Amino acid sequence: MGGLKRKSSSSAKSVAKSKKKKKGPHLPNSILKVIADQKRPLNSDEEEEEDEIDSDDEHGGDLYEYEEGVPEEESRKNNRYDRHDNYDYELPDDFEDENVESEDDDFDGGNSENDDDDDDDRHTRMLQSLTGMPSAAFQGESKSKPVLFTEAYPEGEFNPTRDVLEGKNVLTEEDFLAPLEGKPGYHKTSKQIARMRKDTKHVVHAPLPKPQRERLERKAVIGLVDGEFSKWVHLVKKNREAPTVYFNQEVDLGYSTVGAIASEFQPRTEFEKKMASLLNDSEVSEAHRDDGARLLELNEVSMEDHIKKRDHIAKIRNLLFRHEAKSKRIKKIKSKTYHRLKNKDLKKSSLGALMDPEMAKEEAMRQEAKRVEERLTLKHRNTGKWAKRMVRLGLNAKYDATRAAIAEQLQMNANLSRKMHSMGDGSSSDESDDEEGLNDGSDEDTPSRLIAKAKEKTLKTMEDDEVPNAGLMSLPFMARAMKKKNEEANEEAKRALEEYEEWENSGGENSKKPVSVSGRRVFGATAKVEAPKESKKDSDNFYDNSDSDNDMAGVEDNDMEDVRDNASPARNTGTITETEKFDDAAGNQASKTTFDVAMFASGSWKKMTSCKNTESKKESKKTRAPISQSQDKKGSRDEESEDSESEAEEMVDGVLASASKETFEIPSQAELINRAFAGDDVLDEFEKDKEEVLNQEVPKPEKPVLLPGWGDWSNVQRKRGISKRMVMEHEAEEKERKQKLKTRKDARLKHVIISEKVDKRAEKLHTTTLPFPHTSKEAFEHSMRMPIGPEFNPSTVVSELNRPEVVKKTGVIIKPVKFEEVNPNDEVDDEHPRNHQKQRSKKKTGKRQGKVKSK
Amino acid sequence: MEVALEDNNLMENILPPDEQEIDVELEAKEKKYLRGEGANLESLKDKKLKTQLASREKLYGKSAKAAAKIEKWLLPASAGYLETDGLEKTWRIKQTDIAKEVDILSSRNQYDIVLPDFGPYKLDFTASGRHMLAGGRKGHLALVDMMNMNLIREIHVRETVRDVAFLHNDQFFAAAQKKYAYIYGRDGTELHCLKERGPVARLRFLKNHFLLASVNKIGQLHYQDVTYGDMVASIRTGKGRTDVMEVNPYNGVVALGHSGGTVTMWKPTSQAPLVQMQCHPGPVSSVAFHPNGHLMATSGKERKVKIWDLRKFEEVQTIHGFHAKTLSFSQKGLLAAGTGSFVQVLGDGSGNYSRYMSHSMVKGYQVEKVMFRPYEDVLGIGHSMGWSSVLIPGSGEPNFDSWVANPFETSKQRREKEVHLLLDKLPPETIMLDPSKIGAMRPSRRKDKPTRGEIEAEKEVAVEAAKGVEMKKKTKGRNKPSKRTKKKKEMVENAKKTFPGEEQGNVAGKKRRIGEVDAAELPASLKRFARKN
Repeated sequence: MGGLKRKSSSSAKSVAKSKKKKKGPHLPNSILKVIADQKRPLNSDEEEEEDEIDSDDEHGGDLYEYEEGVPEEESRKNNRYDRHDNYDYELPDDFEDENVESEDDDFDGGNSENDDDDDDDRHTRMLQSLTGMPSAAFQGESKSKPVLFTEAYPEGEFNPTRDVLEGKNVLTEEDFLAPLEGKPGYHKTSKQIARMRKDTKHVVHAPLPKPQRERLERKAVIGLVDGEFSKWVHLVKKNREAPTVYFNQEVDLGYSTVGAIASEFQPRTEFEKKMASLLNDSEVSEAHRDDGARLLELNEVSMEDHIKKRDHIAKIRNLLFRHEAKSKRIKKIKSKTYHRLKNKDLKKSSLGALMDPEMAKEEAMRQEAKRVEERLTLKHRNTGKWAKRMVRLGLNAKYDATRAAIAEQLQMNANLSRKMHSMGDGSSSDESDDEEGLNDGSDEDTPSRLIAKAKEKTLKTMEDDEVPNAGLMSLPFMARAMKKKNEEANEEAKRALEEYEEWENSGGENSKKPVSVSGRRVFGATAKVEAPKESKKDSDNFYDNSDSDNDMAGVEDNDMEDVRDNASPARNTGTITETEKFDDAAGNQASKTTFDVAMFASGSWKKMTSCKNTESKKESKKTRAPISQSQDKKGSRDEESEDSESEAEEMVDGVLASASKETFEIPSQAELINRAFAGDDVLDEFEKDKEEVLNQEVPKPEKPVLLPGWGDWSNVQRKRGISKRMVMEHEAEEKERKQKLKTRKDARLKHVIISEKVDKRAEKLHTTTLPFPHTSKEAFEHSMRMPIGPEFNPSTVVSELNRPEVVKKTGVIIKPVKFEEVNPNDEVDDEHPRNHQKQRSKKKTGKRQGKVKSK
Repeated sequence: MEVALEDNNLMENILPPDEQEIDVELEAKEKKYLRGEGANLESLKDKKLKTQLASREKLYGKSAKAAAKIEKWLLPASAGYLETDGLEKTWRIKQTDIAKEVDILSSRNQYDIVLPDFGPYKLDFTASGRHMLAGGRKGHLALVDMMNMNLIREIHVRETVRDVAFLHNDQFFAAAQKKYAYIYGRDGTELHCLKERGPVARLRFLKNHFLLASVNKIGQLHYQDVTYGDMVASIRTGKGRTDVMEVNPYNGVVALGHSGGTVTMWKPTSQAPLVQMQCHPGPVSSVAFHPNGHLMATSGKERKVKIWDLRKFEEVQTIHGFHAKTLSFSQKGLLAAGTGSFVQVLGDGSGNYSRYMSHSMVKGYQVEKVMFRPYEDVLGIGHSMGWSSVLIPGSGEPNFDSWVANPFETSKQRREKEVHLLLDKLPPETIMLDPSKIGAMRPSRRKDKPTRGEIEAEKEVAVEAAKGVEMKKKTKGRNKPSKRTKKKKEMVENAKKTFPGEEQGNVAGKKRRIGEVDAAELPASLKRFARKN
């Protein structure tokens, strides 16, 4: 079917092929009828067209145009139907066509067919008369007789017939011309063909097969493209291989002088053009060049201009006069209200402030006052009645306007209370404010809390008086002394506790008292304290209020803070006095310090064990104290004597050494032998050392062992011993170790141990990966062997060695590569043609001469 | 540039013999300045890199050439030498003979300073050789300007002085005294007392790192940064008391000689020694390093001096029958050794150190320390009766580099230099055995992957082993030859399997192919399920 269809579509074009009539498929009558009914009206136009083009086709096209679904038998789907059914109608028409077309066909076949055709014709005519339908509709009907097939497939341009293939039935021009004979134009055509035959030159050969053609095309294109690209190769190569690419050749920075800029001036605006025309006026310039007398002539002013100018001046004068008159009138106004309002306006506009310095000052003062007021009252901090109410009722969340108003207030507050950077004294006052606030806070919580704290501390220290069980303190007599001390301390602590309780009972009244007394009040068993306290300055009355305060003094005290902290546990052992003394000493008598420190240190022995961070400090102090004491006692004389003693010793040593050191005399044989023996031992030791180092750096693998109780239940197991796998593993490890030892640098040097430990700090001096363009380690390391600094190279080479890959001046626009002829044989010129540089380098060589030498 | 151009012209012409000689000489010098050969660029695949490296190499060549030329033509002085005729031996020549031949300025360098009271003297020179520090055992410290023999400062500390050392210039020096080490200013004022180190036996200053290294009586090695006073490292050597300590000028590694005959080398960043060498069977009495850092000389109490190559850690030479209490290398590589009242200088002739000069002092003098004066052909000898100075021709570098050390330095230059030195100060971790490896690839901790060849070899061995395995004799029809061969094959396959390698790639390829084949072979209805590649 497909073949048929193609034929019908191509029938319009090919004249030669459309011959005679075609036989359609053998369809049942009813279907044919329906088809005919449906097709007729639809294809009437088309049919006409076809008729015009080729007359002999009759109406066959109509029927074949119809795209009928392939019947199941024909589609051969699933091979359900026998193939031979198709022989009835598959290809006969083509076959026939071929035979009809070729005039070499034998006559007999043609005659018999003609007979058949006659029968057919008759039958169709009969049908036509019966049904009233055109004969074309019934043409294929009568095709029921057997047909001879020589080919198994329809003939087409891809399926040539056998005779074509065998070369028997080649079509010639004559074949095509023969039917035209006698027709007009035949003569002309035959002549043309004859001419063409003679003319072998202009023969157009058949096109080559596509792949071949494309291959040729590609070849040609490659040649072209290659030529185009290879032009650039040298340029690209040059750029790639240049050690430095310069982009500073054509630097056009524009004009350098005003004159140069002016010379390029082009008048653009109307005014400029006018000016230019005047300036470049040849007449004027000529007049200038002459004597200038003509300039006057040229300077003539027209009447119109004159009048215009006069009018303008008059107008201006008039305005001025009016303004003057107005101000006079205003000045005369005596109403205060008017002036006040006017001034206010001026101020409000703040233009006045800008104009008048006095006013500005005033304004600033006012602003300052506002700020102060704000900071004092905190008026805009949502503390107002209204704001509070709004917040309380949640109205600020409800209404935008309210919220905005509150926000505005806050903003105002922020603005007003912000520290002004310009004001120097503002900040200091702020700070003092802050301090005051802090003091207030601490004042409030003094009485009860401080007492509680003091109590807590005393209790704590009473609890944790353990005796150290090591070192000096563990000695029996020390322990005894400690115990005594502890007892004393505990007693004191108890007393202190009682006092604290009393205090608490008495309440806050007591606490107020000492403040009002203004002096100091001392609590507890501090009878001996009072004497040194006299010397105390009045300024520190803050922690003279009470002893409990003193416990807290660490907060305020900067100088003695840590010392005091150290002493805190020692305080209840009666060392309150000591610390106080210490304070005194630090304040007044520097000479006394050492003694006090010593005492203090001895008092706080216990502390040493418990608090470690202060240990070192104390220790240093302790050590210093005895030293100083000894210094005091002994004096310089003793030390000198000691020195001289030691010196004498040393000298003896030196003399001895020099005496014992061998001189020119040859040692005796015995001595030599002795030494040799001593040496043997040394060598052995060294070997052991080496073994040790090797074991450390390349650890020995562990020997395979069984866990006790595993794998030795029976004799058999015991006999079998350690499993083969474990032994193998061990052997492999041993082997590996041996390999490692072999590759060591000192493997073959018996007398040398070279450590192969990795130095982590030195690792940063090596690269882990090769830097980019390098691929081989060897090449990289060779390229690194020469130093490139100015200390090692002459200045001519230094600049070249250290030049960056791209030299570019700022502002230079880098243009794409332009094609230029490059001589491929030219070597890459790595010297930049800059003459001034060369000259400079020449000058320097003399200076550098010493430099290069001894590197 | 001009010079270079001229040279090119010369190259083109046929050179006269003199110039050819010069050319050869220059080439040799150039090679020295090239510091080894460039990489083999042929093996590089990256063309860009190749050309860039080539251009760089060219620049290096230029630089080396310039340096060689400067050395050839512009350096003013040449090294001194001793020339003998006939049977005369250089070591027979005495100082008095030399004095007759040399100029007045040089002959002024031969002298003895007799200071009998304060006993054996230690010496130290500044890097430029301009100043000398002498420290008497019994507390005498003297700072001398060697140019005009001017005693700059002399103090008496009234204590044992065990060692003295200059810091980076003549402005500061350190002295190891009885209890502590001290740092003094040029005018003799005590600036610091270094208490942390304990009683110091030897002091050395590491110039490039600004570290003051010391070893104390109990064998602790301390490194202290003198710029900010921090103790950089404090190392317990664990080898007992020692007073043999020297710094390798090439890499800043400190070497200690021990009583067990070992020499240990240390750096401040590790607690373990870098290298331990068993140099002598008896105690090591002194150590010295060649300025190029490749040679070390040690002397042991068993009357042997050994010279070691530090690149291979192998002994190069042993000099028998000679005990040196003190050793010192000169800038040009002469080795001075002092014992008793006798000083011998060994010269490096044809790779072996042999006698070059000798000097014997008055009998009874005990040499304490020998040290060559930098940039002069002078050997300073500190001994029990003061110090002496003798001429050793060819010991010092004839041309000083004012950027490195300038004996004629003005105070302004000195200040400038000090700043530069501080700016160029190296961190302590740069002390390592081979400092040229800084900036190179980090040495891999272990061998990363066995090479293909190795794998192959191992595989072969394994296969051979599998083939050689004796089969058990089995019964009940399992001992058939076919079964045996099958089993053997299996074993060989198993042995092969344990070696990964190309197989992995093959497996992946196989998988892909399997997928393709499947797609081709599947029935039409299942084709849509085939994996699309």
